[in-house]
Amino acid sequence: MIQKKVCMLGGFGVGKTSLVSRFVSSIFSDKYLTTVGVKVDKKTVPVEGEEVTLLLWDLYGQDEFQTVRTSYLRGASGYLLVVDGTRPLTLDTAVSLQQTAEQVVGQVPFLIVLNKADLEADWQVDDRALWRIAEKGWPILRTSAKTGDGVEEAFLKLARGILAA
Amino acid sequence: MGAVANPAAARSDDRGPGEANGPAAAFTELRSLIVGPEQRQLRALQARLDDPGTQAREVSQVLPQAVLLRTRDPQLTRALAPTIEEAITASVRKNPQPLADAMFPVIGPAIRKAIAASLSSMLESLNRTLEHSLSWRAVKWRITALRTGKSFAEVVLLNTLVYRVEQVFLIDRRSGLLLQHLKADSAAVPDADMVSAMLTAIRDFARDSFRVSEAEALETLEIGDLTVWIEQGPHAILAAVIRGTPPHELRSVLQDVIERVHSQHGDALRSFDGDTGPFESARPLLETCLQVQYQRDRKRTSPWLLAIAGALALAAGFWMFSSLRARARWDAYLDALRAEPGIVVVSADRQSGKYVVNGLRDPLARDPASFLSSHQLSAATVTGNWQLYQALEPTFVLARARGILRPPAGVTLQFADGVLSAAGTASADWILESVPLARAVPGVARYNPTRLIDSEIAAFTKRLEAARLLFVRGTITPVPGGDQVLAACREHVRSLDVLAKAAGRRFMLEIRGHADGDGPPGSNIPLSARRAERVRTELQTELLQQMDVATSGVGSAEPLTRGTADTDKQQNRRVSLRVFATGAPETPLNR
Repeated sequence: MIQKKVCMLGGFGVGKTSLVSRFVSSIFSDKYLTTVGVKVDKKTVPVEGEEVTLLLWDLYGQDEFQTVRTSYLRGASGYLLVVDGTRPLTLDTAVSLQQTAEQVVGQVPFLIVLNKADLEADWQVDDRALWRIAEKGWPILRTSAKTGDGVEEAFLKLARGILAA
Repeated sequence: MGAVANPAAARSDDRGPGEANGPAAAFTELRSLIVGPEQRQLRALQARLDDPGTQAREVSQVLPQAVLLRTRDPQLTRALAPTIEEAITASVRKNPQPLADAMFPVIGPAIRKAIAASLSSMLESLNRTLEHSLSWRAVKWRITALRTGKSFAEVVLLNTLVYRVEQVFLIDRRSGLLLQHLKADSAAVPDADMVSAMLTAIRDFARDSFRVSEAEALETLEIGDLTVWIEQGPHAILAAVIRGTPPHELRSVLQDVIERVHSQHGDALRSFDGDTGPFESARPLLETCLQVQYQRDRKRTSPWLLAIAGALALAAGFWMFSSLRARARWDAYLDALRAEPGIVVVSADRQSGKYVVNGLRDPLARDPASFLSSHQLSAATVTGNWQLYQALEPTFVLARARGILRPPAGVTLQFADGVLSAAGTASADWILESVPLARAVPGVARYNPTRLIDSEIAAFTKRLEAARLLFVRGTITPVPGGDQVLAACREHVRSLDVLAKAAGRRFMLEIRGHADGDGPPGSNIPLSARRAERVRTELQTELLQQMDVATSGVGSAEPLTRGTADTDKQQNRRVSLRVFATGAPETPLNR
């Protein structure tokens, strides 16, 4: 059986936990996020005819008061950088977290997830900023934890990338 | 190139001036000369590439080595897996025997081991449950189980367990991914993968929080009855979830196991990328961590309790011994009753502490109560319910016949095969009376009184046989006084005939003549025969109805005395009488 550790990174309130909740059913309470700083969930997905178990480490969102515990990143085979489309600063946070993650786990597959796509009217992330991200070769995907749009695809895309790496 | 140009020039010279086919032919020839070998090689290569058989042969030569080089490549494993799975499936469908034969050496021991482990666990559980199911503590634990909603077995376990390793996690130290997980039979496990990851996270959290070095890490967690002991190696950590209070030695076991895991699976740990397959072989090693220890009951028993228990045991032993002995006596008593003629035991039981025997008893049989003392049984402890009946055993029939017939002193009775026989001398009245009475005796099918002799008949017979009928020498003339004897005998014979007729019997009167030894046998025998005839005549036997008469003369062959004196000789000149019964069928007694 193939298992992979995947970390959910992003600023506070960007919807990481909601994305995971959309994707899996959990046995641990969300209180671990605020106590230990992480909550682990599991999802098994089929990738190219093979069952791959993703252990999803949902890390507490980074904000001005708290930074991500880098020790939680160790051994990760990939990660999702979650951005709140209605809050441009969360994109900067994601970029910062990418650098942190790369320092810890090296160049492993990751994905920029623009969450809250259902709030398009309130969208504030600048397209130019996104172009700059795209120019780096970082894959970007729009999701909505509320409607479920793009959620499954995001995890599957990351899983495929991990296996292909 | 120079070497290639010269032959071309030479060939051009050979043709001569008028032979030229043009520059194209010359160029072709030139090209053939220059690149001919390479063209042939290319054609040969093309032929090899186009021939699948050749390709297969060539690939087969390098395939084993190529597979060996990519042994650790998961992509090769993933690529081969579907084909191998299909091949195995097809092979099993076609003929499962080869695969079964191949698996047999592995499957057999594995199944035996699994069965042995299950049986051992089941026996241990059963043993403990039985051990604690009848004590006063069990009652308390059952109340606890009812109160807390736990199963009785769980409460017993909690109260008797010293410690038990319920789960073992082998975790990749870097990623927190679960490599292997083992659990005790009854241990509850939510999701080992996530527990493994969260455990790693908590370890990281603790280390980060207290800023300790990488080498230092969380080694123990305690949650209620559970303790988690963690041993870490360079690449993996071993976490044991323990219920109860583990001994320090268990830590050494865990350390030894994690070291051996690194020793045996070091390469797989270093190159771990999420595939847990290589760690299946570590399960037997991890199983050594699943240890369990139960409490030994060390409570010292009170001497008083021991004394009471001993007294109770003695009392129980004595009671058991007494019961067995009483039972043995009772059985012997019943056997004796069953062997006794005239007693039939129908049922025997024990009711309200007393033995009860029900059966049939002939009044002539021994009293069953008389057997009690010889079997050391008290009449107070045995109740006999006996219904009277008449036994048909010969002794009882005979005894009953004696009681009913009351035979006089000269009569003996015998009973065999349903026939009651009477013999001896009795009065005619008794003989006549005995016939209907004998038929009324239960068990008597036939009565045979033929050997009975009427006492009066016997008296007359005796008198006749005692009569002295003497004769004068050489004659058939009775001695003086002999006529009176003859007359008396005549009366006796007539009386006997009358009695025989009354009794319905028949007798034989034998008249035998004798002579003394003086004369020759040739004269004595006829003489003795005439003497017998003379007596017959005198007795007037032709008038007898129930008596047959036989006469004979034996001469001097049967002398009464051996003396030679005249008085002796006179005694031998005689006639003797004998009377005896002749058969009984016609007798009225037997009809």
